[in-house]
Amino acid sequence: MSRVGKYRASDKMADLVVNNYRILLVMSRFGIALGFAEDTIDEVCRKHCVDTNTFIAVVDMLLDNGIAEPDSSSLSPESLLMYLHNSHDYFLGFRLPGIRRDLVEVLGKPHDNLTKAIMKYFDEYVEEVRKHMAYEEETVFPYVRSLIAGTADGSYNIGIFHKHHDQVEAKLKEFKQILIKYYPGDSSNEMNSVLFDIFNCEYDLASHNDIEDRLFTPLILDMEHKMTQNK
Amino acid sequence: MSRPVRITIAESSEIIRRGLVAILKAIGTLQAEVNEVSDADQLKNSISWQRPDILVVNPSMLSVLPLQQIKKEAADTDMKCIALQSSLADSSVTRSFDEVFSIYDTGEQISDKLSRLMGKTDVDKRHESLSQREKEVIVCVVKGMTNKQIADKLCLSAHTVVTHRRNISAKLDIHSTAGLTIYAIVNKLVELDEIDRAEISE
Repeated sequence: MSRVGKYRASDKMADLVVNNYRILLVMSRFGIALGFAEDTIDEVCRKHCVDTNTFIAVVDMLLDNGIAEPDSSSLSPESLLMYLHNSHDYFLGFRLPGIRRDLVEVLGKPHDNLTKAIMKYFDEYVEEVRKHMAYEEETVFPYVRSLIAGTADGSYNIGIFHKHHDQVEAKLKEFKQILIKYYPGDSSNEMNSVLFDIFNCEYDLASHNDIEDRLFTPLILDMEHKMTQNK
Repeated sequence: MSRPVRITIAESSEIIRRGLVAILKAIGTLQAEVNEVSDADQLKNSISWQRPDILVVNPSMLSVLPLQQIKKEAADTDMKCIALQSSLADSSVTRSFDEVFSIYDTGEQISDKLSRLMGKTDVDKRHESLSQREKEVIVCVVKGMTNKQIADKLCLSAHTVVTHRRNISAKLDIHSTAGLTIYAIVNKLVELDEIDRAEISE
């Protein structure tokens, strides 16, 4: 059953995933294993100690359901932190290395200058993604944990963490364009398949950034607001 | 530049909102990051940190939240405001806007209005081919020379070098040195041994 509008906690988890395969990515990031049988979204989430509201908010955002400004006050910052952290691991530890491996294989001839230039570009791009994510892991996330614990000292605020995703996204886009416009050589299934992966990865990274910009940041703003009110 | 245009759509009707989003997404030349809000409260909350370049708003929302106040919240004088008109209204209502979308506009009309509003000029540049001078500048950039060094070598002013580089970026849609390197190799602007001497050979 495919549906219009938001998924509800009482919908079956298997229905959600079967109808929206992109949700598979969300599953592993929340640490949810397959094999849902007839369990509802709520039951599965509880079993894996994931906040159901947060899960559904992330799903809605990925599926682009409903409106853009979800009610962030009902979200669990802990669950969202876990999601974002695992998402970083996924890109840096799995997805981007996978694309790199495939690229090396397709380009072949390691001593070719063009290959070197292309790999250099890709490595620079990955380095930028890594830096960006490391900043979040080392600065933003600890700050949010201190907010949760009520020990934030006010030396940082989420306003400092403003949107700097644009640049990283633009770089992958440029890489893709260069390959499409200028890559010489015969048409090959392998090269096209790598490009297909890059398009997909770009989409997933954009969704990830979207969740940071539209769920995570508003939630933290909300927490900061509450904290200043309590003082 | 390649930064996407941030657009916020403030409209209470989901059908109209999503219809407009679909049209914006279909405009191939527009790189947009679209954000939707459904009421004046949400608009007020989101505008200060979303900082849209363009705000498309149903004027009926403005009875609660005047346009001047929105602009103040946005703290951005460059934000363009477009009225999204779904009903007949006195022209005084739309006068303070930069542009008006009617719900009867075609996708093409919306696209034209947006291009006009954003004063697009670099789009045309893409179809031009590179001049000889620009190719020389690329070669220098790829070799890792600074703007100053390029200016000295080609007997140009530093300012001219910057202009050349900007035009190159606009024509090729490549904005990084690493990207230009790939371009230069593929198009044989540089000899292989020159590249070897440059930073690419680690």
